Amino acid sequence: MNLVESYKDDLKLIEKPWTGCWITMTVIALLLLPWFGNEHLIYMGTLIFIVSVGIMGQNILIGYTGQISLGQAGFLAIGAFSFGHMAQMGLPIGLALLGAGCMAAFFGVLVGFPSLRLKGPYLAIVTLGFGIAVYQTFASFEVLSGGRMGLVIPKFPALFGLTREASMYYFSLFLGIAFTLATYNLISSYMGRAFVAIRDNDIAAEVLGVNLTRYKLLSFAISSFYTGIHGAMFAMFMGFIDPQMFNFSESLIIFVAVVIGGLASVEGAIFGAAFVILVPQVFSGYKEFVPVIFGVTVIFIMIFEPLGLAGRWFKMRLYYRNWPFR
Amino acid sequence: MKKGLFWILLLIICMSLPVAAMAADSPGVTKDEVTIGMTCPMSGPAALWSAMALGNSAWAKHINDQGGIHGRKIKFVAKDDGYNPSRALANLTEMKNDVLAFGCVIGSATANASKDFLLTSKVPVVHVHANPRIWLTTPVAQRRHIFIAYPDYVDEAEAVTNYAVTKLSVKTIALFGQNDDWGKGAEEGIQKAIKKLAGKGKFAGFITFEPTDRAVGGHALKLKELNADAVVIYGPPTQAALIIKEMSKIGYKPKIFTANPLGDPLMYKIAGPLWEGAYPAASGNVSMPGVEPQADKVVDILLKYEPTLKGREFLGVTGATTMMLIAEGLKKAGPNLTRESFVKAMESIKDFKCEGMGAPITFSASQHHGLNAIRVCEAKDGKHVPISGYMIFKPLF
Repeated sequence: MNLVESYKDDLKLIEKPWTGCWITMTVIALLLLPWFGNEHLIYMGTLIFIVSVGIMGQNILIGYTGQISLGQAGFLAIGAFSFGHMAQMGLPIGLALLGAGCMAAFFGVLVGFPSLRLKGPYLAIVTLGFGIAVYQTFASFEVLSGGRMGLVIPKFPALFGLTREASMYYFSLFLGIAFTLATYNLISSYMGRAFVAIRDNDIAAEVLGVNLTRYKLLSFAISSFYTGIHGAMFAMFMGFIDPQMFNFSESLIIFVAVVIGGLASVEGAIFGAAFVILVPQVFSGYKEFVPVIFGVTVIFIMIFEPLGLAGRWFKMRLYYRNWPFR
Repeated sequence: MKKGLFWILLLIICMSLPVAAMAADSPGVTKDEVTIGMTCPMSGPAALWSAMALGNSAWAKHINDQGGIHGRKIKFVAKDDGYNPSRALANLTEMKNDVLAFGCVIGSATANASKDFLLTSKVPVVHVHANPRIWLTTPVAQRRHIFIAYPDYVDEAEAVTNYAVTKLSVKTIALFGQNDDWGKGAEEGIQKAIKKLAGKGKFAGFITFEPTDRAVGGHALKLKELNADAVVIYGPPTQAALIIKEMSKIGYKPKIFTANPLGDPLMYKIAGPLWEGAYPAASGNVSMPGVEPQADKVVDILLKYEPTLKGREFLGVTGATTMMLIAEGLKKAGPNLTRESFVKAMESIKDFKCEGMGAPITFSASQHHGLNAIRVCEAKDGKHVPISGYMIFKPLF
């Protein structure tokens, strides 16, 4: 979009003053939302921030590193149930969140090993199998998940005189922004460039000195960490989880969000999360046609916006950059 | 480009709508309309239950055609949650400021995830089709706007076991149940009954299954090894039909007893002729279509407004009972309708039968589990014929 004249320019998070202006306005609007919005808006906002974190993680794996994964529900479940047990043991929320993310990252590394030998649909099948195995394990072992009865999890407390819902909203917003900045930083670093190199051509990347084993496993670990945090936040938000919430369709929804939002795009991850949350909700009154509407919308976006919502966003920014001259 | 702007504006308008609705003094009530909301799985794994929303909707239309209640027509808003708890909760928060009451919420996972919201939102809730024990641990003051007439699994299984042993001469009973509080509640009920029967009956064992299990041949073999006279099934229609077929294949044909969610004669379509002779329990607040005239009268009305209910009449009638209860509450609340007056009116409902169907429902300030009752039926010639009277248990709360 812009002429990049130095590496410093390339690392800039905010390129133009106007970009800084609208980002600041958006953040202020989001900060003020609990004061002016109703409970439903706060609920939807919180859910979008939480899901965004997971989608960003999967975008690192699928979009930036090019490793097709369909096992996201497994990492979500690991994060959610790990958090649930740690929270029930009385661990502070921050520590429990970190523990949940690390647990998911550990399993991410384990699942990442097959990626060293497998690609494309074969890797997708392996990760799919992982997601199903995790679901069955949680459903079958009551000690891990409360069985089919699920786990009741302490919700986020009310802080600073705010309601519990508003407190959770701000916490999710804070984490959403933190993970967004972390992701921008990551993809601008050597590690991010290594991921992109692996995606574009792994043999060429290796020839150029990228350690495939290390960076593929790192990509799995980081993306699973994000997804684990997503699962933990979701568990804390809902206050109740059971294994059925992490079935295969959850993996598909996350995959759809990554692609619809826009592969290899941080803001695309946020758009993708908003899409998979808002579309079923806005059309929920259409009852049994909701899945049909959702599917048709996905088809239309893929036909008319192959780069996803981030592609449309890019075109809009390009248009307004030259506005009113075209 | 203009199209892009249009969509952004549309999204902003859509998201602003609930804010505008907040302004109302008495949510969901206008001079000539009262709004009732429902979240229901209309797609996804539990889409069959959408018939309950149709039943609810059809009865609201029937009431409206008769002039409404105190001059107000009922506007029924149903939203699909796909049996996804986060979507169900999103639907409920979206409707919170636009409806007088929720009627109803369906499914244990959905109910568990929505429990805190339902308790704190102060929106009246009529019927939660889930294990009523989830409310037992909640503060009494918080649940005063929640009204339930759904049978307890433990009491139900105890009564079914007692009936099987004392009336149908069953000596040993095995349980085929879902690996959750549903199946485990049934196990507790059966154990309680066996203990009280003091040697007249024996509990052979509990074989569990997962909701995703479809290959139940191994489960059938285990049940055959237990060699019980009767198998009590606590699970969804799919697994019930599959286990009956598998047991039949290996020549094991015990008497079949089931939980009330299998009280729908639709089971004949799923299990086929093997369903004949089974003993399904039926919830105490409904009568049986095709057998009892009260239910047939309701079915005729429902089919007039929602012809797509054909073939799913029992679920339709079950759904309609929610609207019947709400209508009774609206009548008693009088023309000055608020959430508080509606709750008080619901608490004054005494010995109410939904269009003459089922056992009497009674709510009061201290009793919000208005009916805890079942009947035992027998599957006969494509119908579920009640063979016991109403077994009414002590309400849980």
